[in-house]
Order: sequence, then C-alpha cells, then structure tokens
Amino acid sequence: MDLSINGQRMPLPEDLSDPAMPLLWVLRDLLNLTGTKFGCGVAACGACTVRLDGQAVRSCVTPLSAAMGKSVQTIEGLGTPEAPHALQKAWEQHQVPQCGYCQSGMLMAAAALLARTPKPTDAQIDAAMTNLCRCGTYPRVRAAIHTAAASMSAPARG
Amino acid sequence: MKRRHLLLGAAAAGGALIVGWSILPVRSRLGSGELLPLSNGEVALNGWIRIEPDGGVALAMNRSEMGQGVHTALSMLVAEELSLPLGRVSLVQAGPEKLYGNVAALVGNLPVHPRDAQPGRETATVRLGRWMVSKLARELGINLTGGSTTVVDAWMPLRLAAATARAQLVGAASLRWRLPATEIEVVDGVVRHPSGPKAHFGELAAAAAGTSVSNVALKPRGDWTLIGRAAPRVDVAAKSNGSAVFGIDVRPDGLLFAAVRMCPMLGGAPGAIANEDEVLRRPGVLRLVRLPPADGSTAGIAVVAHSTWHARSAVEALQVQWQAPPNGTVDSAQILRALEASAREAHEHGGGFAFHERGDARAALRDARVIEATYRAPYLAHATLEPMNCTARVKDGRVEVWAPTQVPGMARAAAARALGLRESDVTVHVTLLGGGFGRRLEVDYVAQAATVAAQTGGRPVQIVWSREEDFTHDFYRPAGVAVLRAALGSDGTPRAWTCTSAGDAISPRWLERGLPALAGPVDAPDKTTAEGLFDLPYDIAAQRIAHVATRHAVPVGFWRSVGHSHNAFFSECFMDELAHAAGADPVAYRLSLLHDAPRYAAVLKLAAQKSGWNSPPPAGRARGVALHESFGSVVAQVLECSIDAGVPRVHRVVVAIDCGTVVNPGIVAQQMESGVIFGLGAALGAGIDIVGSEVQQKNFPDYPLLRLANTPVIETHIVPSTLEPTGVGEPATPPAAPALANALFALTGRRLRELPLRLA
Repeated sequence: MDLSINGQRMPLPEDLSDPAMPLLWVLRDLLNLTGTKFGCGVAACGACTVRLDGQAVRSCVTPLSAAMGKSVQTIEGLGTPEAPHALQKAWEQHQVPQCGYCQSGMLMAAAALLARTPKPTDAQIDAAMTNLCRCGTYPRVRAAIHTAAASMSAPARG
Repeated sequence: MKRRHLLLGAAAAGGALIVGWSILPVRSRLGSGELLPLSNGEVALNGWIRIEPDGGVALAMNRSEMGQGVHTALSMLVAEELSLPLGRVSLVQAGPEKLYGNVAALVGNLPVHPRDAQPGRETATVRLGRWMVSKLARELGINLTGGSTTVVDAWMPLRLAAATARAQLVGAASLRWRLPATEIEVVDGVVRHPSGPKAHFGELAAAAAGTSVSNVALKPRGDWTLIGRAAPRVDVAAKSNGSAVFGIDVRPDGLLFAAVRMCPMLGGAPGAIANEDEVLRRPGVLRLVRLPPADGSTAGIAVVAHSTWHARSAVEALQVQWQAPPNGTVDSAQILRALEASAREAHEHGGGFAFHERGDARAALRDARVIEATYRAPYLAHATLEPMNCTARVKDGRVEVWAPTQVPGMARAAAARALGLRESDVTVHVTLLGGGFGRRLEVDYVAQAATVAAQTGGRPVQIVWSREEDFTHDFYRPAGVAVLRAALGSDGTPRAWTCTSAGDAISPRWLERGLPALAGPVDAPDKTTAEGLFDLPYDIAAQRIAHVATRHAVPVGFWRSVGHSHNAFFSECFMDELAHAAGADPVAYRLSLLHDAPRYAAVLKLAAQKSGWNSPPPAGRARGVALHESFGSVVAQVLECSIDAGVPRVHRVVVAIDCGTVVNPGIVAQQMESGVIFGLGAALGAGIDIVGSEVQQKNFPDYPLLRLANTPVIETHIVPSTLEPTGVGEPATPPAAPALANALFALTGRRLRELPLRLA
C-alpha cells in the first residue's frame, strides 16, 4: 500500500495502515511528516489542513481510504527553501506567524483558495479561511494572501 | 495584614519579583562559560555567549518561544552589543542552573501601587521589597517564561554578557595585533583596525577567553542599529514550511504513542474497566497504564500504541467506571452565586484583604450620590492550539523529556517526582510551544509522560491529549465577581471608590503543585487576585479595594494577563459608568483624574487622537474606550463596533501602548494584535461551565473564538520612551473586553456587566 504525497509515492506499513485511520495520523505518526498539525480532531480548527487533488481538506476527519489514489499535498510540499511558494514569501513579508502552530493549515487553506480564486476579495478570504489561530495572526494572514495573489498575477512572473 | 507588611512578607516568603539591576552586582548574572555545552572549536565566554568556529554566536536561550517573539528579541539584544548581524546568532538551550532563572517574574508579583512606584521615584518600601525579592529570586533561580517578563529580565544581563564578550574579543585583537583597543572596532561581526588587520569572532575566541576586562560599557542608545527596529523574526521560515518542531513533533527513534483519558469529573478517578483485555488485543495497541493524580491533574488512564490514532481509539473504547471526587461534585453556577454572596457580604462589612486603602471611603459613601454595580466573569480555558503533550524516555535510570513547557525546571522536578528519581537524573529538552498563555506553566502532562514512559521498556513515548481532554482538564482562569461602589461629588467627580471582589487565588495553588517547598501553611494574599483593581491610576481621594480569596474544587491557573483579564473589565467598565453618570465624555472624564499620572494620560490621549475619538463614528457604529496598566505597560484601546443580526461586530481597534524602551516595534504590534484578539475572543465567546464537576465545553464548537472573518482592523501606536522595557505579551488583552462593553453601551444604552457579553 502506498500514498502519493508531495509528488512522491510513499509506502505505508501494512500492519498499521487501517483504511479508517485519519490521514492526519498516517502523515504524522506513520510517515513522520509532522508539518501537518493536530488541533481538534473534529474538523473545527483547520490545523490539519492539507490538499487532496488540490482541494483543502481537514485531514483529521479524512480517512486514509479517501486519500488512496489521490494526490496529497502537505506543507512540506508547498515550496522549497530555494523556491518558496508566493504565500511563504508573503508570510515572511508580513511577519505572519507567532507561535506558528496553525500556520501549516493556514498556508494550505490559502494555497487552495488561490488555486481556485487567484484574486480573492476580502469576503472570499473570510469564507475560505476558517482556520483557528489562538495568537491572532488573522489580520496578517489576510494581508499576506492579498500580497501573494498580487505577486502571482504580476506580469513580471510571466 | 497591612499592605506594607504584605510586601515585605511576600518578599520574605519568596512570592515576589523584579527590577533593581542597578543595586545588584551585575557581574553575578554573567555566569561561567562552563555552563554551556561545547564541541570542537566552540568557546564559551560566559554563561550566555558561545563563539562558534565560523565567527557566529550561540546564545544560551533560557526562555520558551510560544509566539511572543522572545527568540528574536533576546537574539537582538546580544546581536546589538556584539555588532553582529541578527542572522549570525543561533540558539542553544540553557541548562537548569540558577543563572537562568527569572528574577523579573517574581519581582513583578509584588502588590505595588503605581503611585508608590513611579520610575525613579519609588518609595523606600517598594525599593526594599523589590530588592529583597530580587535577591531571593536569584537564589531560587526559577526558570519561567511568563508574566510578560522575558525582555524585562534579560535587558541588563544579556546586553552586559554580550558587551563583555565584545570587550574580550577586542582585547584579544589588541594583544594579537599590538594595537590600542580604543582604535579597534567591530562591524558586522568582524573585528578590525583601520590600518588593515581584521578577524572574525571565531579567530579570536580562544584568546578572548583568556582576556579579562573591566569597565564594560553598554552601547549608548544613540548607537543602536538593531534595538528599536522592526527586525524580521528569526522563526518565520521554519513556521511557514512545516519544519518548526513543537512538542508534538518530536520523533526520537523507536517512538511509541500514548493517549490519555482522565476522569471526566475533575478530581475523580477511574474505577473498574469492563473490557480492558479486549481493547488491549486490538491491532497496534501495546499496553494500559493507570495515571495517578500528579501536579494538579485528575487521575486517568493511558493506552500505549503504535500511533496516536490507535492509542486514542483504544482509550476511548475502554468502558470505565468513573468515580466521583471524594468530597462531592461542584457546579460553576453555584460557585458564581457563592462568590457574589462573599463579595457582597465583605463589601458591607469592610471584609476581605485590603490591597489598597486610602482616605475613609466608607464614610465618603454616606450621604453622597452613590453608583453601584456588580460584575461577573466566568471560568475560562486556555485552548492553546497545540494540545497538551509530552515525550519521555526512561532508560537505565535516566529520564529524557521533550516538552513544550514554560517551566523547564518544574518539568524536570515533576518527572523526577513521578518516578522517584533525582532531578539530576532528568534532562529536559524545551521544544517550541504551540501557544502557552499560562497553561504550560503547569507540568501535569510531564508527570503523565514520565509515568507512561517508565512502562515501555526504555522506548520513548509521546502522550498527546485529545482536544476534549484539553478543554475538560485545564487549569482554568478563575471565575470572579466584584461589587463596586463610588460616591460622586456635585461636579460628577468620584470622591470615593470601593471594590470588593471574590474568587480563587491562583498563586498559592500553583506553588503547592509545582514548588511545594515555597507553599506556606497559610495562603499569603495573592496579588494576582486584585491586580487591575487595587492599582488604579485615577486620582480618587478615598478608596478601599479588597479581595476575598476563596477555594473551590476547580483547578485554576494563570491565563494570559491573569487577574487583569477580568479585573480590567470590572474597573474600566465601572469607570465608564461613572463618566456616564457624570454626563461626561469617557476620555475627558478619565483625563480629569490623571493629572498625577502623566504616563497614563499620554497613552490615553494618543489612542483618542489616532482613533478620531472627537469626531463622530460612522453611522450605526459607536466607540468605547479602556485604559489599563499591566505588567508595567500602559495600554489604551478605542474600539469601534456595530450590531449585526443581534451580534456585536467589532470593526476597528486603535491601540496605544507605553512599554518603555521598545526592542522590536514589529513584535510589539504583533502582540497588540494578538492580545486584542485573545481578549475579544473571550469577551464574545463562551465561558467554561461546570456541572457535577464535569466541564461542559469539550471542543471548539462549544467554545467559539474569533476567526478571521470577525477579526477587526487593529492599529498599534507606541509612545516613545527611554525607560527600561516593560511587558508586551499580555498587556493588550485586559482592555479589549471593557472597550467593547463600553462601546456597546454607547451604541445601545445597555450596560453589560457579565462576561462573555451577551446582547440577547
């Protein structure tokens, strides 16, 4: 059994890979991809957000069976140190993170939003970004999404 | 007990706090380089500064990063004094030695009235109390990240450590090059002389270690190139690409996972389990461990498995007979009623412990126009986004702990106590914290991890609480009730102000749990119960501010801004009530009472000016104001709100702060945003209700918090200051709720006196 994660086939340990196991724990505990966080277990906080075929999903309530055969993107696959994603650059520019725990989920939700809606309005950001942040990074998340959207559509980028 | 005696008593008992570097021998916090771990080519110049072979500098980091930016701020202090680019400072965790203890946190806990402690004009009693407490704090060496004290505590010792290292490096260059030290400069981490010779720190470190220096001078303020600048945080990249390691991300080889389930009734215990054998036969499940109550926790059960999910599923499947707490169960509604009765009774008879008394307030209240109100606040959960967790390995009589903790020394002690070992047998690795807010000043989850790890044959194990366990087994912000009464003169100004509050004291319970040696047989008055009530800046001739400390069977703990979190709501809403009764503008009314408190007046004026207080708000909106000092900093907020489908909608919050010298204005702005959102989340969200000792709010759907869509625009304005730095992480939280309640009053004419604020 294996799973496509960040463009790579990753083998899963047969004895522990229950189809009902939430994708979150497959990523964190079986594959050591710890960038995706556990926050609530009931899809209420968004800390576990990853992309499944491009769509943002809450991996704490997404069973492994629902991810099989699909392409999973986690925060580890959003960009690279040499080529960070436009959102990651905007996160730096706006100094978004504080404790940082919710930020993987925020970034994955934002990436899914921009893929679908390249120039989101404030209302569209409100609707898409339902992730919980206890440090209150929300105003900067909003500003950084606008910055990233602008940079991704800038002509210089071709 | 008189307040002065309390001050000295608190000092003697070790309950207290800060300041006064100027009166202590500065060298004593320099520390020995032997405290730092060394590998090839590294040279430690003192207990804080290690020079790396490539010329970079490792800083001994003694504080926990939980979002408040201390890894960046403390790195800036040493980079400034060493004239080193910020990016060349790396961090190495400080050890358990007393050098790394927090002096400022203890000094900040002294019940000092601002009138007695104006910078440079402190009374003799305040000076003596602070001196004694700082001496004691250094003897105790308690390493604690909290009380908004990290920069306050580090301000002098870290800069002196770095300046001393710099002087040694320059001295070594002077000897090597045979050139006068006064002609040698340090630029961007390079030591150089105008005639040509230059070297990086690594090339001079060994020689510098043998160089003694005297008359170390700190950089004058005018030479700063980093302090006061909005330098980018050092942790943004790691927190944007998933590589930052929180407690829950630790992955030592051979790691097992455990899930815990505590008795749903606080203080209860697990009894018989009907299906233990059956559950333990599930795939991936290894064993069951019973968890005794420890460090304030409720007894429970842990299941160890090959993944958190296997462990969680198994522990949830156990059919446990839970036993009620031996002394019966409690209800929060009943506790609130009891608190109100206590506060009212004490208010009528001059009872409670008087934290501040001036003039004859009770006499002044007779035959005057009296305004009276009763305010209430609920229990609250911390709800850090990273649930409680800890990883431990017990092997060959040694314990290794990886913990997201605000108190690594107490974590070490908790692990040792749980296993009957010596503290020296325990090593604690502090990870990043996915939020702290005071919850991680507790070490219950560390004791649990050690207890479980003792049963896994030397393999490391990580315990992770479910969100439900996290909500229902917190150390809650205590519920509180305050009865306030004021006498207004014919011109509307307050002639007398009395306040009697009631609520559980946190500090004595916390000491009993974590530092039992310091817990006295009788509770000393706890400043945190009355902070934000007894220390008002307003010029009111007669005051009596008292608190009745209670004790209920609900675990209580420090919640961001502690007593201020509700007391600012009580005092600043009541002040607004007086302004309204006097027919006065709320800002002008406060300013008329601040002639002797210019620092407060300046902050209030700045917030009023930047918010356009004197111009009408947009149609359908109203503004409210609150002014509050906490953790040494004065914050004013002007909040603009409307009502949308019966629900308050906050549009804009203008924040002004005086926090002394600013190290990083970017981080100050972040913390103002953070504190406002934290405070508004509680003001608009839910309290914690307890029925039959069982917490009713179990996950985020039961406990709404601010989300991006209902977050206002927040602007920060900083009052320039050359005073020593004061707190930043907490002071923006207290004014948020009263500013909102006061705005809602302006909008609706309804005075909401209970948190959370409910219009319907």
